[in-house]
Amino acid sequence: MNSLEPQGADNGACSELQTMIADSVERLFSRAITPSVLADFDTHGRIDDLWQRVVDSGLPHALVPEHAGGSGASLLDVGAVLRAIGYWQAPLPLGETLLATALLARAGLDIPDGPISLIQAGRLGDVRLTTDARAVQGCAEQVPWSRACRWAVIADAGNIALVDLQHDSLTRSAARNFANEQRDTLCFEHTPVVATAELKLPGVSEPVWLLGALLRACMSVGALESALDMAVGYANERVQFGKPIGRQQALQQLLAQMAGAIGLAQMTTRIALGSTSDYLEGRLAQPHRILFDIAAAKVCASEAASLGCSVAHQVHGSIGFTHEHSLHQVTRRLWSWREEFGSDAQWAHLLGSAAIESGAQGFWNGLVERDLWRSHQEVA
Amino acid sequence: MQALDIRPCTLDTRSETLRAEVRAFLSETLQDLPAAERARNWNGVDESFSLKLGARGWLGMTWPRRYGGHERSALERYVVLEELLAAGAPVNAHWIAERQSGPLLIRFSPDNLAPRICPGIARGETYIAIGMSEPDVGSDLAAVRTRADKVVGGWRVNGQKIWTTGAHRAQHMVTLLRTSPRDETHRHAGLSQFLVDLSAPGITIRPILNMLGEHDYNEVFLEDVFVPDRDVIGQLGDGWKQVGAELALERSGPERYLSSTQLYLEMLDVADPLDARHAVSLGRVAARYAALRQMSLGIAGMLARGENPAIAATLVKDQGAVLEQSMPDLAHELFGGLRTPGSPLDQTLRYITQTAPSFSLRGGTREILRGIIARGLGLR
Repeated sequence: MNSLEPQGADNGACSELQTMIADSVERLFSRAITPSVLADFDTHGRIDDLWQRVVDSGLPHALVPEHAGGSGASLLDVGAVLRAIGYWQAPLPLGETLLATALLARAGLDIPDGPISLIQAGRLGDVRLTTDARAVQGCAEQVPWSRACRWAVIADAGNIALVDLQHDSLTRSAARNFANEQRDTLCFEHTPVVATAELKLPGVSEPVWLLGALLRACMSVGALESALDMAVGYANERVQFGKPIGRQQALQQLLAQMAGAIGLAQMTTRIALGSTSDYLEGRLAQPHRILFDIAAAKVCASEAASLGCSVAHQVHGSIGFTHEHSLHQVTRRLWSWREEFGSDAQWAHLLGSAAIESGAQGFWNGLVERDLWRSHQEVA
Repeated sequence: MQALDIRPCTLDTRSETLRAEVRAFLSETLQDLPAAERARNWNGVDESFSLKLGARGWLGMTWPRRYGGHERSALERYVVLEELLAAGAPVNAHWIAERQSGPLLIRFSPDNLAPRICPGIARGETYIAIGMSEPDVGSDLAAVRTRADKVVGGWRVNGQKIWTTGAHRAQHMVTLLRTSPRDETHRHAGLSQFLVDLSAPGITIRPILNMLGEHDYNEVFLEDVFVPDRDVIGQLGDGWKQVGAELALERSGPERYLSSTQLYLEMLDVADPLDARHAVSLGRVAARYAALRQMSLGIAGMLARGENPAIAATLVKDQGAVLEQSMPDLAHELFGGLRTPGSPLDQTLRYITQTAPSFSLRGGTREILRGIIARGLGLR
């Protein structure tokens, strides 16, 4: 429309580091995660070989600062990794480990070797750190990858602790999500922590819950892109009545709707990754913005998961309902991830309460500022 | 999927400074505008308000000075638009001329029509209607039958246009017509656009009242209307190309997701933050607003960089209409049977319930848009 240059437009271009990380994770997962690897995981639950390949690639410590032996990448830089976990349905505690190491590094704690799980006190069970933050007490439900991980990071109020999940005082009842990913209930009986420190994150009271929601939103977007690719591919191949079923308008409308929902999820997760990355690097003046961005991302990603699974299965017909076809590897994960670290309804509740409080006078500015809690200190 | 990718856009400080100016202007100018009027959003007409915007330099903002423009950035214009729409300002008198017709003339008739017509648009004085649809021609524009026959010094135009918004207020109508006979093998050839003077002899304008009994649409009859050669837009036979370029400008703006905003704001003011049903439902909408604002802004940034995100813009329009149309049903779900008659919520709900059906018709029907998105996904 005009030839004038936009002022201050962010062209969203990828940095060299981002491209490198994206290429390397894509290369690794596209080769290592085959249908038989996923089938084997479903049957036996083993992840050791795959995890070793990820360790060899250096990915788990990507967010650890260089002086502490990591790659010093930002959260935004590893966005492609989080997405790829979903796109390739990697049955690995990679996202959890990335976030755990970032939190440990921020609190000034040493990073242990091996995969690390995440626990937020005050959510899903009654687990707490003791008042001196030197021991863990109570039960934590749905602990991700709790058998595969030797360690877990527990966040409670302003503290963070590293706990050894193989400690004798700990009892475990095994559980899995729809996709057979480990989600055990762990009960701690005054289990001593390995290390503990204060975690200063202004405006954020439940860092593991919040970052976990962002992680699941990013993974869901990847899984949704995979489901859409599969559905479009199938619709173009499958011929009925002498033409590919993808030529039917009814089916095109469904897939366009799915693409729309994914579009909302992609944009909100991208924005949330950017602001959370800035926040963790100390470059975000408004801490509540990450709360707004992550809540919006989790709502949009989980809503897209509900619609996307339904459309992808409808398009695939009976073949997509078989155990042999790999569509269920995607949809079973989406049905799990849409509720983990808070469902769309739970995060919508937080956003909606704040929107109602801001009222007709304050909502639009809150939307522009991406902050509905401008007068509050700490929210979630 | 590449075609659907939208890159986030960050507004610069200049745009944010401008936002403060616009808000100050609006809170003063519109302080007495009742909710029921704000609910009309970009359907609201107030010619004196259009003149005020022109005087502030907020019309034709991005256009070169020789066309009466102000050579500001596309993102500054975006900020002005979203502030106007969020406030429910009555922008309809100049809307089509400023959004579509001015850019069309600048692009295709830069030496003739644009210098003559655009300065009036930028002052908020000149209004333009768009004559595309005909009684049997809706989505399939290539089938237009209005025709022009060459005469000395110009053309003689005969035909009929329908659904012509604002023709009763506009001085001109951009008219799509046939300048050579229809050729079934080249359906899009032989179409041209003329700038028809609506006060010319042979023009008859008849109102079509919408279901609320309001007069926005018209039928326009053209009987032996003389159009001088100098009022042919661009090159003869380029009509189809011009229309395509115009529709791209029409599909991505903030008006594509903000039309029902007043109803959302009224709901926020009567909702109970402790009622989980209210908080969850209104929070889901807040998340969608967050997503669509970033998507719409992202497209504005891409357009400003000279990219052509046509399919992504189509997706934003489709999803925007879904959001806008969900609002009356949500208001019904939460407050149906409970509203105070005559309250701002009641008045807003009445208006938006009855205009919402048009949101997925204007500017391309939902079915056509989803067909475009499906092709963008690679469905053949």
